[in-house]
Amino acid sequence: MEQLTNDKIKLGLEVLSSHEDSKLLTHLNSCVHCGLCAESCVYYKVDQNSHYVPAKKVDIVASIYRRYNTFLGRNVPWLTHARDLDESTVEELIDLLYGSCTMCGRCTMHCSIGVDINFVVQKGREMLARMGYVPKTLQATVDAAMNTGNNMGIPTNEFTDTLSWLEDELKFDVNDDEAIIPLNQENVDVLYTLNPREPKFFPLSISAMAKVFYAANESWCLSTKMYDVTNYAFFSGNKNEANVIAQRLDDEMMNLKARRCVLAECGHGSRAFKWEGPNYIHKKLPYEVLTSVELLAEYIRSGKIKVDPDRLTEVVTLHDPCNLVREGGVFEEQRYVIRKIARNFVEMTPHGIDNYCCGGGGGQLAMSEYNGRRMKIAGIKAEQIRNTGATIVVTPCHNCVDQLIQTNVEYKLNVKIMTLAELVADALILEA
Amino acid sequence: MGSCILHMIRLIRLGNPNDFSKQSGNIGKATAYSFTKAMSPAKKESAYLHLPTYTAGIFYHLGTFLSIFLFFIFLFDIEFNKVFNTILIGFLLISGISGLGILIKRMIKKELLDLSNPDDFISNILVTIFQFATALLLYNHNYISIYAIAATILLLYLPMGKLKHTVYFFAARYHLGFFYGWRRIWPPINFRN
Repeated sequence: MEQLTNDKIKLGLEVLSSHEDSKLLTHLNSCVHCGLCAESCVYYKVDQNSHYVPAKKVDIVASIYRRYNTFLGRNVPWLTHARDLDESTVEELIDLLYGSCTMCGRCTMHCSIGVDINFVVQKGREMLARMGYVPKTLQATVDAAMNTGNNMGIPTNEFTDTLSWLEDELKFDVNDDEAIIPLNQENVDVLYTLNPREPKFFPLSISAMAKVFYAANESWCLSTKMYDVTNYAFFSGNKNEANVIAQRLDDEMMNLKARRCVLAECGHGSRAFKWEGPNYIHKKLPYEVLTSVELLAEYIRSGKIKVDPDRLTEVVTLHDPCNLVREGGVFEEQRYVIRKIARNFVEMTPHGIDNYCCGGGGGQLAMSEYNGRRMKIAGIKAEQIRNTGATIVVTPCHNCVDQLIQTNVEYKLNVKIMTLAELVADALILEA
Repeated sequence: MGSCILHMIRLIRLGNPNDFSKQSGNIGKATAYSFTKAMSPAKKESAYLHLPTYTAGIFYHLGTFLSIFLFFIFLFDIEFNKVFNTILIGFLLISGISGLGILIKRMIKKELLDLSNPDDFISNILVTIFQFATALLLYNHNYISIYAIAATILLLYLPMGKLKHTVYFFAARYHLGFFYGWRRIWPPINFRN
């Protein structure tokens, strides 16, 4: 760990002492240490270790706040376990906030008081980011986005090459030589974004969405300049970098004069732009921002696309991405779409805003040093999936897809993991 | 009491988050939900998985609010009839015992002990003693000095340690309602198309 200097301490403490509103002050002073949040956390559920109780994560941040900002903390620190922001505290902060939390927000919803534990964890990460203690693995992902425009560091020519052969596939698939994947077009209705995992590892999910756009006769395009829906600075806690990344997408929306920004199937990406983005860049967005999940539901509802309800006979279940559902409010749309396509749809228990995280959230997929823990907590999701008897698991999030693919192998589930767009594309009825 | 009011004034002055994202749901409904159904064992996992603790907590907090209410009643020298007095004493004994139960749980359960600091114990002990002292005063007015000492210590300590959650609890539930309401997460929508 790099040496902790007074300047770093000052930067970290500023996060806790500056109040834009009453939210931070409220949540730093509310926890009563009842510990009833324990079972809501996937880390605690698999290990029953008091280290993982969500209240611990709140307390370590709140204890630093108390030490420097309260009467008891300043004068009798032992009474409230008020802690100095020293190297041992920083090490514990890193392990608790980065290494033991997927920021799924389940503990917040079930907290007996109502402490926004997820928010306090974010503030703790913000402190660590300001002090320069973001895990290098996570920071590397942010750096790739900052330096290349996408978190996978995909060169533009490689990206356009991929799109070019996907376009050929699309022409073949829909049997129309005029079918295209439009790039950088102005005044379109939809600027569609991607998770860079798509061009890098899962190009068929781009094909799927392109096929849907074709069927819907949508006016849309992709940008080669800014297509990355992700914002890993949301996970690292670096607000300046989160601002730059969010600003790029806003700039591209304005440059292309697109009317709607459609965010690809990415839980944190949709949250980071739709909900946090406007706050990062301090701007009310003058265009509509919606997720592709909502768009797919809209297409089916309005009859812009038709899907065959009989083609899919296998048992399908749905994994709810935390940032899309519990933190983003998109709950019914994906269910509406699946019910139109799959006759045998089985919900997990619990599901929706109560669903368990797959284990890949909070930047965990980027932090290889915590892989052991990540795959251990995946056991809860594996059990949930197994209990449904499903052979197809749909999830509208590419990070969740990645984690579920690894879970599938690790826990020998023998299921197929699909995005919602892939499910819709397979069920599309193309008009002659 | 004044310090608690100052905490409250500070929160009010700091105000609501200035959210630039487009509001999707209803904050009023979500806040109402936050203070009602969201706290019930039907919806809150921390409640339904820990029903004995949840029930003890409810009694304990009702006893605390009752004791604070009676504190003001005593200031105005208002007296109750014998039956009502007995009911109040009975309730405060139950709530005080609930508080003791929570205290014992904190002492013996490892996860809770790991999470606790001296303030957690002091706060519980002060409030529990205050409830018993209130019951004692209702039983016999001659115990006024014991009651006065218990009430004074509690009121002096109230704004400094975790007991200030008397104020912050309401703010936390409000903020939760604001956050989930803004994004149309609360109240939960369960409809089929």
